[in-house]
Amino acid sequence: MDFSLGKQEEALRSEAREFAEREIPQSFIANFLDEESHDEDWAFSLSISRKLAERGWLAMGWPQQYGGRDASHLEQMVFAMEAAYRGIPGLSMGVSGTGWVGPSLMMYGNEDQRRKYLPLIASGSPDGVWCTGYSEPNSGSDFASIRTSAVRQGDEYIVNGQKVWTSCAHRARWCWLAVKTTLNGGKPQDGISLLIVDMRSRGITVNPLLNYSGEHIFNEVFFDNVHVPAVNLVGEENRGWYQLMKSLAYERHSFCGQSYGSAKRILDGLAGFASQTRRNGKPIAADSAVRHRLAALAIELETLKMFAYEIACKLDEGAMPVYEASRNKSVADHLLEELALAGTEILGACSQVERHSRLSRLNGLIQRQYLMSPGTAIAAGTDEIEKNIIGKFKLGLPKSY
Amino acid sequence: MNFKYSEQQDMLRTMAREFLVGECPKSRTRELEKDARGYDPGTWKRMAELGWQGLLLPTEYDGSGAEFMDLVVLMEEMGRNILPGPFFATVALAALPIMDFASREQQASYLPGIAGGQTIWTLAVDEDPADCDYSRIRTSALQQDGAYLLKGEKTLAPYAGVADYMLTAARIRRGRIPDKGLTLFIVDMKKPGVEVETILTITGETLYQVSFKNVKLHNGDILGTAGEGEDLLARILDKAALLKCAEVCGACQALLEMSVAYAGERRQFGKPIGTFQVIQHRLVDMMIQVEGLQHLVYQAGWMMGAGMDCSEQIAMAKVKANEVYQHAALDCIRVHGAIGFSLDHDAGLYYRRVLASRFFPYDSGHYLEKVAAGIGL
Repeated sequence: MDFSLGKQEEALRSEAREFAEREIPQSFIANFLDEESHDEDWAFSLSISRKLAERGWLAMGWPQQYGGRDASHLEQMVFAMEAAYRGIPGLSMGVSGTGWVGPSLMMYGNEDQRRKYLPLIASGSPDGVWCTGYSEPNSGSDFASIRTSAVRQGDEYIVNGQKVWTSCAHRARWCWLAVKTTLNGGKPQDGISLLIVDMRSRGITVNPLLNYSGEHIFNEVFFDNVHVPAVNLVGEENRGWYQLMKSLAYERHSFCGQSYGSAKRILDGLAGFASQTRRNGKPIAADSAVRHRLAALAIELETLKMFAYEIACKLDEGAMPVYEASRNKSVADHLLEELALAGTEILGACSQVERHSRLSRLNGLIQRQYLMSPGTAIAAGTDEIEKNIIGKFKLGLPKSY
Repeated sequence: MNFKYSEQQDMLRTMAREFLVGECPKSRTRELEKDARGYDPGTWKRMAELGWQGLLLPTEYDGSGAEFMDLVVLMEEMGRNILPGPFFATVALAALPIMDFASREQQASYLPGIAGGQTIWTLAVDEDPADCDYSRIRTSALQQDGAYLLKGEKTLAPYAGVADYMLTAARIRRGRIPDKGLTLFIVDMKKPGVEVETILTITGETLYQVSFKNVKLHNGDILGTAGEGEDLLARILDKAALLKCAEVCGACQALLEMSVAYAGERRQFGKPIGTFQVIQHRLVDMMIQVEGLQHLVYQAGWMMGAGMDCSEQIAMAKVKANEVYQHAALDCIRVHGAIGFSLDHDAGLYYRRVLASRFFPYDSGHYLEKVAAGIGL
């Protein structure tokens, strides 16, 4: 065993810090989770994507021929942690581009698809922004029951149906779309396929769905006789479910470094605030309930760090960590929720004001997390689904649903 | 970065697991709970033959000179199986302090006996009210006629009834407490004035009250430097706490495996109870906690082995160990239902032992304070 970071990872971490100090205004820091909501933030975010791409950081784990630089998973993890800690936006290319579209294309896409789409993502181009069409109004956790259909006609698929909670669909150039290609017979899992859909295709309608704080992050997307070239099928027809299980592991895993960095920023912020702020005649940090609560969260943060490194090391060894990705997402979501709740206690009544208000503390960091946490804990699989996966794949327990 | 066991650790783990299952099945653990000595001398001897007591000790003193992580792995296995006996007391509370802080003469006279399994050691520092505040130790060792006269009462000392030697802490100066006069001593239990008395516990492990009635000690009995006992003790207890965490981590793995196996076998409502999400998710939570604990323990163990300052990582591991052990034991009983609460079931052996580890050497509050300081509070 050896838990030290190498020189390369340490250097990358300092470079990321320097980059953030130079490029990211303090006021933006609390805002990266909903960068697709506002035009200005989105434009800024994409401008950072391009700068990251110039340094080879946007898709650093990909092969050079596709715009990456063959970085290890450990390097990627260290970078993702530091980037989130420093509030660097623009890393995901529309949630999914770098996170799982790229890795999935490398796992089961064909060479033409890789050459066409990967460099667009890796260069930070607006044409490299992706959304992901999985959920439907009647298919949430029971994903195999999706009904959006793709019927083969000559060189094309004709797609009909509706997706929902589609993050970034209003910014995306492409959709990574799960469809039913076989409607009758067999297990529902056996009829699913993955398509790449141009969001400019005729027949696609994107309607905003505002979240409870009025932010425009996700959408409902309608497909009405949309013609998709058959060459846009990813992998094998009707094998989409099995491919997706791998993609989803990447998706869950891709959040982990970012969650760690965000959590660390909140914890540091709260520790600083508690030390510098007096309440009832003494520093908040003198209250042992506060000290112990934050200390307990620091221990969970350290645990998450080890989980994150572990999964990166396993990926570097060529393993496909399925249950570990679910575990890490569950732990990270829970920690962020707990930090948000601890934050509201420590900030007290000031935690309810809008982030630009004079009474706002820590640049609105706590309010932001408080509002984002319930949503991120559902995206890419609810905690219950993650635990079903772990129960099955790690503990070997019988299927529970 | 590398999360894997070394070849040596893999072998040690496999061998230890086999040895412990054969040597100390749970029926033997139950017998030993009623045994006045609390351990099996035959097992103790065979462990010495495997080189366990001397695993970390230098080869010149008949040890194996292994690396610290090897002992972490071994402690994990002992915790998993539950091995009643003075291994932790002898190795973590005495052999390692002697290896780290004793003079060459002391090492030469004591370490071979430990490595060979001839001597049993322990540490007695707690005093009534056993609040882990070692800065307020009252036991004294004032100088008189060229000797130190050890006087006082120690409590909650493990295996003092069978120990040949113990380490203890006393003040060599009169005056205000706390002060800087704390000193660690090596005490031969055969010396006149050393008395031990049994303290019965609910954990399955007997503890002892130790009285020192003018026990004569000399300069050669001092461990490290006179007057620097407080600092020394903190370092000794840090390392021991880490090894205790490893033991707890092994116990938690056993609880998890027991629970998962039972959830797969036990049928109610026509299905294995592991089919029910209420049970399944409880087990998953348990697993996540146990894996997290293991990572924290390994990280601290690796840092300790690499000579890095890991006081904060140990504090984190200990708080986590306390929480995870308690909950894993409770959840294990819950998954089993009434059978888990019965004398013949193993769950209770672990559940009762939670309290034996939880407050050693300090409570969670102490470690949370350390972590709080580490994040700038």
